[in-house]
Amino acid sequence: MNPEFQRNLWLEASPRRIAWALVAVTLVYGAVFLAVHGDMRLAGPALATAGTAVFLVCAGLWGARAAGSAVLAEIAERTWDFQRLSALTPWQMTWGKLFGATSLAWVCGLTGLAAMVPALVSPDSAVDVWEIAFFVALALLFQALSFGAALIGVRKARAEGRAARSGGVLGGLLIGLFLLSSVAGSVGFQHGAGLDWISHVLGGRGFIPWWIGYHPAPVFRALSVAAFALFALAGAWRVMRLELQMRNAPLVWPGFLGFLAVFVGGFPFRHGGLAASLLAAGLAVALCAYAAAFAEPADRVHLRRFAAAARRRDLAAAGPLAPAALTPLAFSVLLIAAALAAGGLQAAQLWQGAALTAFVARDLGVIAYFRLGPQPQRGDFGAVVALALLYAVGGIVGASLGHGAGRALFAPLPDAPTASLVSGLVQAGVAWVLASRRLNVPRSAPASAPAS
Amino acid sequence: MIEVSDVVYDYATTRALKGVSFSVKTGAVLALVGPNGAGKTTLLRCIAALDAPTEGRVTVAGLDTQEDPRGVHAALGYLPDFFGLYDELSVRRCLIYAARSRGVAEKDAGAAAEAAAARVQLSDRLEARAGELSRGLRQRLAIGQTIVHKPRALLLDEPAAGLDPEARRNLSDLILRLSAEGMTIIVSSHILAELEDYATQMLMIRDGQVAGGGVVAAGGGVRDGMRIAATFTDPPADLAERLRALGIEIERTDGEATIIVAPEGADDAETLARLVGAGLKVRAFQPARRTLEDAYLAQVAR
Repeated sequence: MNPEFQRNLWLEASPRRIAWALVAVTLVYGAVFLAVHGDMRLAGPALATAGTAVFLVCAGLWGARAAGSAVLAEIAERTWDFQRLSALTPWQMTWGKLFGATSLAWVCGLTGLAAMVPALVSPDSAVDVWEIAFFVALALLFQALSFGAALIGVRKARAEGRAARSGGVLGGLLIGLFLLSSVAGSVGFQHGAGLDWISHVLGGRGFIPWWIGYHPAPVFRALSVAAFALFALAGAWRVMRLELQMRNAPLVWPGFLGFLAVFVGGFPFRHGGLAASLLAAGLAVALCAYAAAFAEPADRVHLRRFAAAARRRDLAAAGPLAPAALTPLAFSVLLIAAALAAGGLQAAQLWQGAALTAFVARDLGVIAYFRLGPQPQRGDFGAVVALALLYAVGGIVGASLGHGAGRALFAPLPDAPTASLVSGLVQAGVAWVLASRRLNVPRSAPASAPAS
Repeated sequence: MIEVSDVVYDYATTRALKGVSFSVKTGAVLALVGPNGAGKTTLLRCIAALDAPTEGRVTVAGLDTQEDPRGVHAALGYLPDFFGLYDELSVRRCLIYAARSRGVAEKDAGAAAEAAAARVQLSDRLEARAGELSRGLRQRLAIGQTIVHKPRALLLDEPAAGLDPEARRNLSDLILRLSAEGMTIIVSSHILAELEDYATQMLMIRDGQVAGGGVVAAGGGVRDGMRIAATFTDPPADLAERLRALGIEIERTDGEATIIVAPEGADDAETLARLVGAGLKVRAFQPARRTLEDAYLAQVAR
């Protein structure tokens, strides 16, 4: 047995804990059965509903929390270096921790799935196998995201000289997604085409239009979430490799961006054609650059090494050291250029797409500038505040200069997309010059007096 | 066994190591000494392949820490200054997990755990929870976990911090036993006295650089040149002049004792005979031993 999985089982799923957990869920199902007065016709659907809730709460929420804690507890208890010195492979560490730490949550969650099974055979039931597959994939996605976010948090905290916090990265990811979708929606960017896939995945009903066909929503949702869950698991494994001092060839991250582009591009295809698909894919991929810029440790040493390898044109050395945000930035530029080549879009839309990449480059420069500052532990917050000020105050200043064209100087808007593009490029240049100045070689550490 | 070449390590705003180079031979017990903040822990973490040096190269048992970090992890054991244990697990399970996670086969893990427990004298506590152990016993368990896979090199960072005198003595005995078994050991500390009993070599790190002459022989009770600690009853006021007339120089006084430097070529018996022959009342006569602190101070003075 995988020793990491076994150790987690020793700690998390002792017979005593399993017994108590089963008593608790049995009480839940018993209460539901009593609530329908023992009516067997009503008991099946009621238990299926309760089972769904139990599964989502246990495997989804509790499991996600346990998965994140699997790493953060090691930090808090000062056992993480001991783990990093083990001879286990990164994959053994990943699955051993992920499924070991969540073992009790899965035991309880599986009782929920068991409670849903009788409803499967009922002809008038809304529950089907694909729905169960969706729930299982969703739980795995939550857990893998939480686990990966915890690993990222540990790496960020180490680079920034602070203690790793529970849920910091995951919370930041969710807040960032919400803010970006709000901004994108409020400015009417491409009619939110780059983000509407989220509603399709989470709430789609009937048939979902995607590329050339219409796909049954339950099947599409289950397979989509399963694919994202597998990428989340692969991402966690890759970060674990880095924690164990191994190097990653740039494979999984570009692979995920490619998958995301294909996935997101499929939704606007039927209405807008290939150009709209490429543009939507470009937007989604560009948003990943923000996630990557915040998720990567603010490690000046790492960036110096990358810069040195790039100056030597040593691509083999530079590739694994490349900042994660570079790939989505370059990929989004390619997608937008492809959209331009594909034709069928209004010129303003395309220029706006190009301006978007310029502003993404500026924002990445601003993020780098703040995160590479003398107090990197405050860098994330400083970068968020700076970006908010640039867009909010810039918008007000721009509006005073001229409502449409003026605002376009401070955001990639369709009113004056050429001005947006030029302004974005100039601002990006300034931001990156300032950020690069913070990559200087450090001075020596002071030492205290010896003791004897 | 351990080769460190031109290692530079940068933190975000400070350069912690500035071109450190040295090597440690198989079976040596190297005392890594220096003031707080000198870079000892950073250096140990680079050797343990937990952190990658910004520049330079580290090899352990012929394995490069950056090319084969997992191979290095398997070849050594590292106990950080602040370590944790799985408090809810029994000592036996802690050791079995440590053995399994360090590549010991499942069928051999139980025996390896019991052997490690015996080496750190915890055989009678195998079923106790780690969280119930005292500070000294926790230290022993942590070392047990570190050596359960019989590593070829052992790195200990401030291992005696917080231990009582008895636990320190046990730790010294354990390090001597492991050294006698052929293990290469690096022990970091800024308290020189605790390294005195077992260190065979010393490396001083100061301000991120190797200070003194690199790896040097530690004190270890070696005769300190021609120095002798002599104690006189009713020493005369002109003691220094009288000794100089005998060809003996006073180096310093250390409490009641006077540290004298015997004439070149004279053995201890001859020196003692000269003192007694000159009418001095010699109450104690002890050839001086070179301590780690002497070696440290000698390196500082270079």
